[in-house]
Amino acid sequence: MAARVGIVGIGHTVFGNLSEYDLADIMAYAATDALKDAGFLDRRKEIDQVLVANMASGMLCHQSAVASALVSRMDMEPVPAELVENGPASGASAVKLGYMAVASGLADLTLVVGGEVMRRVTGWNATDIVATMLDTDTEYNMGLTLPGFGGMFTRLYMEKYGMEERDLALLAVKNHDNGFKNTYAHIRAKCTIEAIADGPEAAVVNNYVAEPLRMYSTCPVSDGGAALLLVNMDAPIAKEFPKKPIRIAAVASATDTHCVHNRKDPLELNAVRIAAEKAYKMAGIGPEDIDFAELHDAFSILELAISEEVGFFERGKSYLAARKGETAIDGTLPINTSGGLKSKGHPVGCTGVSQVVELVRQLRGEAEEGRQVKDPKYGMSVNFGGFGNNVASVICAKD
Amino acid sequence: MAIDEMERSLRPPADELKPYPPKVITLASGEKMVVREAKREEIGVLLGTVHPLMGVPKDFYDIVAARMYAELLGWYRYRVANEFVLVGAIDGEIAGLVNSRQVSPQLGMSLHTLTIRRGLRIGAQLFAAKMEHHIDVLGEDEVWVVAESPIGFKRWMIEYQLEDRSSRYPDVRHELGGVPTYVLTRELWNAARDVKCTGTRPASDEDLKSAEKLTMPTEYVQIPDFKR
Amino acid sequence: MIDFSMYDVKAPQIDAWKCDSCGTIFYPVPMVCSGCGVRRDPVTNKGWSTFELSGPCTLLTWTRVWNLPEGYNKKFLQFGIVEFENGLRASGRVEVDEPRTGMALTATVEESDERPGDPVNVFVFK
Repeated sequence: MAARVGIVGIGHTVFGNLSEYDLADIMAYAATDALKDAGFLDRRKEIDQVLVANMASGMLCHQSAVASALVSRMDMEPVPAELVENGPASGASAVKLGYMAVASGLADLTLVVGGEVMRRVTGWNATDIVATMLDTDTEYNMGLTLPGFGGMFTRLYMEKYGMEERDLALLAVKNHDNGFKNTYAHIRAKCTIEAIADGPEAAVVNNYVAEPLRMYSTCPVSDGGAALLLVNMDAPIAKEFPKKPIRIAAVASATDTHCVHNRKDPLELNAVRIAAEKAYKMAGIGPEDIDFAELHDAFSILELAISEEVGFFERGKSYLAARKGETAIDGTLPINTSGGLKSKGHPVGCTGVSQVVELVRQLRGEAEEGRQVKDPKYGMSVNFGGFGNNVASVICAKD
Repeated sequence: MAIDEMERSLRPPADELKPYPPKVITLASGEKMVVREAKREEIGVLLGTVHPLMGVPKDFYDIVAARMYAELLGWYRYRVANEFVLVGAIDGEIAGLVNSRQVSPQLGMSLHTLTIRRGLRIGAQLFAAKMEHHIDVLGEDEVWVVAESPIGFKRWMIEYQLEDRSSRYPDVRHELGGVPTYVLTRELWNAARDVKCTGTRPASDEDLKSAEKLTMPTEYVQIPDFKR
Repeated sequence: MIDFSMYDVKAPQIDAWKCDSCGTIFYPVPMVCSGCGVRRDPVTNKGWSTFELSGPCTLLTWTRVWNLPEGYNKKFLQFGIVEFENGLRASGRVEVDEPRTGMALTATVEESDERPGDPVNVFVFK
């Protein structure tokens, strides 16, 4: 029988422009914070496995094999370390593989570290590098980018369900409000609906990026690191940690067609739905049991679409719930309490780990004042790779 | 000062440029930025605003601030012809400045853009306001543009599709360093105006009053432990 | 015997593929046919054939992208996903002044060298 896996340490750097720092240092900073949180820094060599989540260090910082660099940066030789890469879903995939390592009985203590430095290259180069995850012949070569697919998806959604651009702006207001209170967020600046949607200057202040997506509906380009210490809750070592472990109730992932044009229904995010179904099954719960969620809003439309695919809202209706404030911090189902990718930032390979750090902070009751969910029991994260062709999900529980 | 003959000979001819009609832009944060022309009497706060950034090498702040400081003094002391200065002020505090000059009624020479409050696209708004003044208010046919920052300049090149006249160097060269230049023509500005330029006019009395007395910024994100 | 037609300047063309065993068509071509499970040999392509993907198509969705990647110096580019009469779909550039979902377009192909590396063939839907 597989062992239960829990999180006993979390670490997170500030997200933003950290391009003057080395990627391995950024990851080591988050990782040592996680070890300090677990009271385990001086025993770090007892860790059985290090898994590093990173998407594109080769292209973004001209560095490869960063897992090996991290181990030395933390003076942790000879601990085994490998890189986990799944595009922007690298983070949650690393958590999933970390879970599998611990549950298998082969690695009672597994350190999962995510990191990405994107701002050493120009914005045009970062856009190009991120676009390499698309299908080369049929998508990348056309000049398409991730925001391009975000825009096309948003248009379809708007035309089918009657959502307006203003509904996406409402999400920015909510997420910036949450991120403003998050010590680690990249953008800590509130925005108003008048300024970015209703007012006479909104069209220029909140300019189009990939119509109908606007600047305040697309996440920033960020650097940052995050880390989690996973433990086998059924092993003796589990008793040696000061903080009660937050149990990982489920990890799951699924794939969909690589070419977006080959999706049967372009508005259906099958990989999200299947990953969520598998996660619910593993955790023995349903969507109604989730108290709060971190949903991958690289484009604000994804916060809405993902929330429907995982069963929080009926298809096409999530924007109505957002209008009523149901997904705000004091709503019935808070979404992106951290500020989401929009405000917290999106160092691509790191995001999935950062999302789980937020799940733990909320479940422990350690979130900053004004953005702490009241008594949550289950939190869920969805980490969206490619344009939905590889999605991983994590559910954490406070027992 | 008394304008004797010597002083007069050192001054440029006194062309009166049409004033820039103030406007208000509600920034994403909800704060209102008044964009208005600066007056010579305000030179103290303008210089004081720009000065600290002369010590920031990152993002080319040092050279832009140093050159702008000199250009502001040149304007103040009547040693530069037909220069104008626009400021963006939030509750009177200067958030950004742009300066430029008219070479002839047909030609503008864009000088500098300096942003103090970051993260709100203030630089982009003020650059657009500068072009609005050159072409829509002063009626010039084109404006010559260069920049210190390659990334900043590439953004303008792409977003405005600036006409590349670098091949006509040295006959066509920008005053700033005498370097090859790019040009914003009226046609290009007409194609970009709706996307790049915004603002509510006329500015309300309340908004104008808030920007009547300009103040220097109390903090600079570019200078972490700044104290005035 | 040398086939000198290989030096002809060919108009750019984008191909779709057909599995000869069961007739299923693909764009782009996989290694395993989802219709009959037969594997493709990428060296000989025996048992698979190509046909030109072009002509009339319907615009399923579109966008106007203002933040283009490195190598593109235009203010914006329009992109869309279309569906051909044979059911195949493709992504590409859209060159009409006012795109509308559902509009009928014609797929053409142009060569582009904006991206690093050798020039590539790009769909332009007009």
